[in-house]
Amino acid sequence: MKDKHKTDHRLAIMEIERFAVHDGPGIRTVVFLQGCPLHCPWCSNPESQQKKAHLLHIGSRCAGCGQCEAVCPSRSIFFRDHHPVFDRQRCVACKACAAICTHNAIKFVGQTLSSSEIMEVILRDRDYYLNSGGGVTFSGGEAFMQYEGLKDLLIQCKNEKLHTVVETCGQVPYERIRRSFPLIDLFLFDLKHADKNRLKQETGADLDTILANLRYMARKNPNKVIVRIPCIPGFNFDEGTLRQLFSLAKEYQIQQVHLLPYHTLGKDKYAQMGLSYPHPYDQMLAKEDLLPFKAMGEEMGLEIGIGG
Amino acid sequence: MANFNVEGAQNVEISKKLPCEKPLVAQLEIMERYTAVHRSTDRQSKEIREVECLKVLYPSLFRRITDNDLIAGRTDFLPIGFGTVTSVGGVGHYCVFKKLRAFQEQLEEKDRKRVDALYDYWLDHDLKTQFNKEVLTEDTLGMFIDCEYPMIATARLSGMMLDYPKLLERGIGGLRADLREQLDRQPENDFYKAGLRCLDIFVDCAFHLQQDALSQMEQASAGRKEELRKMHEALEHIKERSPETFHEAMQLFWLFALLAGVINYGRLDDYLGPYLVADLEAGRLTEEEAYRYIHSLWTMIENRRTTVNGRIIVGGKGRKHPKEADVFLHIAMKVAKNSRYVEPQFTLRFDKDTSEEIWDEALDALGAGATYPTLYNDDVNVPAVAFGMRVDEKAAEQYVPFGCTEFVIQGQSTGTPNICINLLKLLTIFMNDGIDPMDGKRKNGPVPIRKLEEYRTFEEFYAGYKAFLAYYLDLSVQAQYYSYQLMNRYVSFLFTSLLTDDCIARGKALLDGGVRYLGGTNETYGNINTSDSLWAIRDLVFNRKKYTLRQLNDAMLANFTGYDALRKDCLACDKYGNDLDTADNLANDLYEFVAQGVRDRGIAIGMQYFLIVISNNQLNTEWGNRTAASPDGRLSGMYMNPANNPQGGANKSGPTAMLNSLAKFDAKYHGGSVQNIKFSPSMFNENRAVIKSLFKTYFAKGGCHLMVTVVDKGVLEDAVEHPEKYPDLIVRVSGFSAVFVDLSPNIQQELLSRVLYER
Repeated sequence: MKDKHKTDHRLAIMEIERFAVHDGPGIRTVVFLQGCPLHCPWCSNPESQQKKAHLLHIGSRCAGCGQCEAVCPSRSIFFRDHHPVFDRQRCVACKACAAICTHNAIKFVGQTLSSSEIMEVILRDRDYYLNSGGGVTFSGGEAFMQYEGLKDLLIQCKNEKLHTVVETCGQVPYERIRRSFPLIDLFLFDLKHADKNRLKQETGADLDTILANLRYMARKNPNKVIVRIPCIPGFNFDEGTLRQLFSLAKEYQIQQVHLLPYHTLGKDKYAQMGLSYPHPYDQMLAKEDLLPFKAMGEEMGLEIGIGG
Repeated sequence: MANFNVEGAQNVEISKKLPCEKPLVAQLEIMERYTAVHRSTDRQSKEIREVECLKVLYPSLFRRITDNDLIAGRTDFLPIGFGTVTSVGGVGHYCVFKKLRAFQEQLEEKDRKRVDALYDYWLDHDLKTQFNKEVLTEDTLGMFIDCEYPMIATARLSGMMLDYPKLLERGIGGLRADLREQLDRQPENDFYKAGLRCLDIFVDCAFHLQQDALSQMEQASAGRKEELRKMHEALEHIKERSPETFHEAMQLFWLFALLAGVINYGRLDDYLGPYLVADLEAGRLTEEEAYRYIHSLWTMIENRRTTVNGRIIVGGKGRKHPKEADVFLHIAMKVAKNSRYVEPQFTLRFDKDTSEEIWDEALDALGAGATYPTLYNDDVNVPAVAFGMRVDEKAAEQYVPFGCTEFVIQGQSTGTPNICINLLKLLTIFMNDGIDPMDGKRKNGPVPIRKLEEYRTFEEFYAGYKAFLAYYLDLSVQAQYYSYQLMNRYVSFLFTSLLTDDCIARGKALLDGGVRYLGGTNETYGNINTSDSLWAIRDLVFNRKKYTLRQLNDAMLANFTGYDALRKDCLACDKYGNDLDTADNLANDLYEFVAQGVRDRGIAIGMQYFLIVISNNQLNTEWGNRTAASPDGRLSGMYMNPANNPQGGANKSGPTAMLNSLAKFDAKYHGGSVQNIKFSPSMFNENRAVIKSLFKTYFAKGGCHLMVTVVDKGVLEDAVEHPEKYPDLIVRVSGFSAVFVDLSPNIQQELLSRVLYER
């Protein structure tokens, strides 16, 4: 059955990544949707948190020539000590500065695309998905924040017989999970902490909502869920916390858990967005650092993967 | 007549040749003898002259059998001699003047004058110089490899793949009988007479090598003695009889290939497989010994150092002995994985029936960094060759890539690329009133060039450029065809002709009307820069009207200095390789115009086929160095895009997007098109199933070919220094993948600092 959508939804997109091989099985296209209810201080995609076009200034490329200031119609760029300062509240994202900058020191991330435009990109790799057991992954931000658009895309993917994955933080109205559940083949469910207060304090998340959603999915079909734990030193990277999270997976009869080693690769982006990096830990984790916890999880009868 | 430098470099030579084994004076004497025989046979037919000259060279030019060789036969080349290709020796009766001068400088003072005499004689007799004198022009057509010209031409007979199955089946004695029988019917036919004498040379060489083996046996260890004894025995056998063992079959094909001066070896699996399997089954050979034989052959091919040749083809449609061939294929795959040679260029043909085992072996070899096998898709190429070369499916199944990728039909066709054309240089000339901005010289021949201001639509502009190209395409087919006529005037390429259909049946050398399919190829360069440039013109000048053609050309003439914003706009235009219909469709349109234009002209002039090849050697860089700035944003003197791939840095949408772009060209109009793709070892080896389905999907979508590079850490270090060279180098960081050069310097350092686990 071909879809008969009358409305073409507009979605705020951070990026569409083709040939993604680590967010679900096979060859995939990952659509990163903007907007997130949480504010994790280690977030590696800060430009995904708000639905807008973000101005990124790459200082190492900037020659301080002042062309951007001259061209800015909203007067949101001014120079201090030969360095541009950006008033991001005032910026209307007309992108004139990025166009004029011959050093490519300014770029904008975030754009609005219609669901049919997104589908057009997705379908270009259709054969690769089908032959590799791959498909489409919706990530973010939090993909469920743009629910109507997401649902539209999921329906269109299903009409094309594509495998669908949604990566979620779980901080989502239950109804959205329930109604879209049949359209989603696999959830990558981020679980960050088992201590309600600690979780709330660091990320703003509500553990009860998250676990209610996880429980719902697990009851419907625990094989459709992979729990993903970002291992963050100073937050949850300790035996006790990880054991608690593993136990939750066990309790819900979810078999697969992936441990994601902490990295600081988003750090540059904070600087480019004029923000300071909020998480105090600088040391990245190596795959080897996670091996003892992999063993621990396996002893508990879980299948533990490291990395996506 | 054009000015050209007879001492100009005539071919690409990256691999350093092994120096000649003989003392300098002995080399000089051979060249003098050769010259004397050449001089004294000028009243004889070209066939007799050729064989008399060959007798001077062989067996004299054989090197001594090297310690690890399991079959015999290594040859040297001198600056004067006979050959078929520029990469070993030269073409026809040749003199490589530059090398002769270098040789002269090594001689003692008293002998140097002797070289001058040779030099002077060969100025009037070197085949290639003769071609250059007759064909090159002042301003349009230059000699190989003179990058000042938009088109270059040469005379050579590259890429011949002989009918080895016939050689093995008939043996030297069988060929001799065939020739005698024909000679009885045509007693005056010099091709048959000379052919028979060639077989005598073969026997003399076998005898010569036997003596070498015998003499080495005295000093050899017991094990080596046995190897030399086998060599002696096999050489004796193949002087007359058809081979019965794997060793004999290898020896026969190899010695013949050396004497023919050919440097590509055809479908070895199919013609050697039955001998290999018979030996294995009879217990004459173990698999380990077979490995050693094949490895020895690999080494001998490597040591010929042809830089861009040495093709060995395995797999694919139309094999007569697929089961036995696969036994050879599996061992050869291991050799290719372990030996890490630049040559032979180990080539896998496959189709949808190719086993998973073969796929896995191929990916293992590639993942180990071997860069081999190169992959050719028969499901696309066989029907494409049938159309392109106008042959039936059965003949098309015998296509084999040689050199950089050009196709010939094994034992049945010529396919030598004697023309190269630089489409981008022509565009810059076209935009600049017919004058090459690089040197200020007029290069538009008789074609009138309109002022840029006169073009009102993109279609008019594009049509003008196509009309200009058409003039050069006319020149190209004439020069290619003339190269055959000229070579045929002087030489017969006797050894090659003996194993090329239908020379013996027709009693004619291959260029004399003997070859079944007289084909040829035309190497096109800068294809993608040109189509991206045309797209930029269409988009910026005619669609958006942001600049005029004149403004664009002014910026190009200034090498974009002072035009930073304009250049940024040029670079930001859609580019081929990102799966965008805009740039890709224009690329395809240009491709079809050039490819069909060349093909149609070949047919019109009376050739079986004349096809473009979009191949890949460093000429894209060298010619780019002498090509002015272009509308795609490329700077003056910058390398041009490699083969059929995007300009370095232009493809930013990942491998599926690039492969989708590559698969858009219809393979039936070209005679080979190189498609490169590059992975980091971790991406390639840790995601093998994904990579395999990536490749298979590309091939199912019409991809004709892939050359896969899996690069190691040294490349990452280089990428830190020269990020512009590595736009698509994908690395696994931790939990996600990234394009290496997009990572900030500290992340790059972190990746570099990780321990490299080997095995």
